[in-house]
Amino acid sequence: MFSDEVIQMLIQGIGETLYMTLASTLFGYLFGLPMGILLTISDKEGIRPNAILYKIMDVIANIVRSVPFLILLIVLIPFTRMIVGKSYGSTATIVPLVVAAVPYIARMVESSLREVDAGVIEAARSMGASTFTIVTKVLLVEARTSLIVGVTITLGTILGYSAMAGTVGGGGLGDIAIRYGYYRYEAGIMVVTVVLLILLVQIFQTIGMKLSVHLDKRK
Amino acid sequence: MAQIEVRHLTKIFTSKDAKVDALKDINLEIEQGDIYGIIGMSGAGKSTLVRCLNYLEKPTKGEVLIDGKDLGKMSEKELLKQRKDIAMIFQHFNLLMQKNVVDNVSFPLLIQGVKKKEARKKAKELLGIVGLEEKELAYPAQLSGGQKQRVAIARALASDPRILLCDEATSALDPQTTASILELLKDINMRFGITIVIITHQMSVIRKICSHVAIMSQGEIRERGMVEEIFSHPKTKEARELILKDSDEGHSGNSGRTQDRLMEAKKIRIVFSENSSFEPVIANMVLKTGRAVNILRADTKNVGGIAKGEMILGLPDDKKLQKEIEDYIVERGLEIEEVTGDV
Ligand SMILES: Nc1ncnc2c1ncn2[C@@H]1O[C@H](COP(=O)(O)OP(=O)(O)OP(=O)(O)O)[C@@H](O)[C@H]1O
Ligand SMILES: [Mg+2]
Repeated sequence: MFSDEVIQMLIQGIGETLYMTLASTLFGYLFGLPMGILLTISDKEGIRPNAILYKIMDVIANIVRSVPFLILLIVLIPFTRMIVGKSYGSTATIVPLVVAAVPYIARMVESSLREVDAGVIEAARSMGASTFTIVTKVLLVEARTSLIVGVTITLGTILGYSAMAGTVGGGGLGDIAIRYGYYRYEAGIMVVTVVLLILLVQIFQTIGMKLSVHLDKRK
Repeated sequence: MAQIEVRHLTKIFTSKDAKVDALKDINLEIEQGDIYGIIGMSGAGKSTLVRCLNYLEKPTKGEVLIDGKDLGKMSEKELLKQRKDIAMIFQHFNLLMQKNVVDNVSFPLLIQGVKKKEARKKAKELLGIVGLEEKELAYPAQLSGGQKQRVAIARALASDPRILLCDEATSALDPQTTASILELLKDINMRFGITIVIITHQMSVIRKICSHVAIMSQGEIRERGMVEEIFSHPKTKEARELILKDSDEGHSGNSGRTQDRLMEAKKIRIVFSENSSFEPVIANMVLKTGRAVNILRADTKNVGGIAKGEMILGLPDDKKLQKEIEDYIVERGLEIEEVTGDV
């Protein structure tokens, strides 16, 4: 149906999309997880209430989250160039993706950690656990299934964003969909890329859910 | 010097629109090895008090001294260390749901930096003590309430505490399971000499295992003392209400249920202390006065290991006859007390 050339291109597109999505999620968690933890513990109901710290992060998270991704992409061009040396291509796209993902992930982590039963935290405190121990040995462990669901949802969202970035020269499946499907009216290729994107989301979703159910010992 | 000393403890919760005086100038002394019950209605401040004992809650005013050391003067680090000496169990068990039984019991040891292998070894021993060795690989969700509380007790014992705080530890359990958990606590108290502070709203719990009791109401301690003493001579309205409620809840031993709730002209409570059997007294009284009395309630209980009896009699209308009956009972060395209201 498609020429070898197109198939080759699609395979490369999948590779680039996966690369952008996975790398962005990884770096996103590198910053988003600690931010989510800080949001949780510094909240007034948290184990280390700190109104100022909470407010600062709360505001940052809300601001970044309310800027449309495309605008963020453009605004961040100088910053991206500073970090990776250029402002187009998959690697460059990772920078705005991470910036957009961090507050999103932080909120996700915050909501997962909030689900942890206050009684269990109280029990740990009664044993003389420090804040650090409570975070690493109680919060993250008890919330792990919910955290994994969060990762799954994040992967899907970032995949969608990466496709959007593709439309402005970011590489990956989104790039192909725009260049062939939209500008050259090759509906076939566009449909295929969209189907591939859906499949990828579906695969992430399935793996993530399976893993979280498997790791849940509450039943 | 008492092991736990509470002085002028006051706790005020302030929120935007309300101020709650949860504890008002509480003074309390608990000796090493005691099983000390704190009882009161919901909202009395029991949980707040017990959470102040390990400073999970910082008092607004007053001191908590453990072995003479003021918790309020400790640094954060010293306090964390002190908490190893004061274990706690809870109404809803509060186990780590994602960890199996043996890991739950090891948990306090891992916090203290004990090697994992050693911690597990000790955890297994403790599971033996609470009778759950075969469940070590189960997850809390697979256990019954009583088994979860046993795991929580094993976990509490892991750090070799000298004090065990129990906040409504049996309130989520059925009567049989409650009895077995109380038995276990008593056993632990005797075996390891651990001081136990038990919070409850059930007088039956106090009666079964406590040596001392403090009765709380609205942030204050209304009455306190040896359990035996409070059961036989309750001074305050709160104490009497709790004892009466207890008799209604569950009877142990040879108990005659309330026969009827006739409005009698006068009701009296007779308290029997150890070794006095009440059958002959009442029988003889009936023979002597020639008048039948209505036995509204009679039961014997095991109070702190001593058999205690209590009977509530409905007396006839005749004032003279009432006096005659009362005099007779008092002559026999028993104590009586008038009871008002519905029995
Ligand atoms: N964190 C808090 N903030 C505000 N008020 C509180 C807080 N904790 C407890 N209180 C209030 O303090 C009072 C005593 O509460 P506490 O939980 O100590 O009662 P309790 O005797 O343990 O009751 P229960 O038997 O229902 O557990 C209540 O009026 C309660 O509403
Ligand atoms: Mg309570």
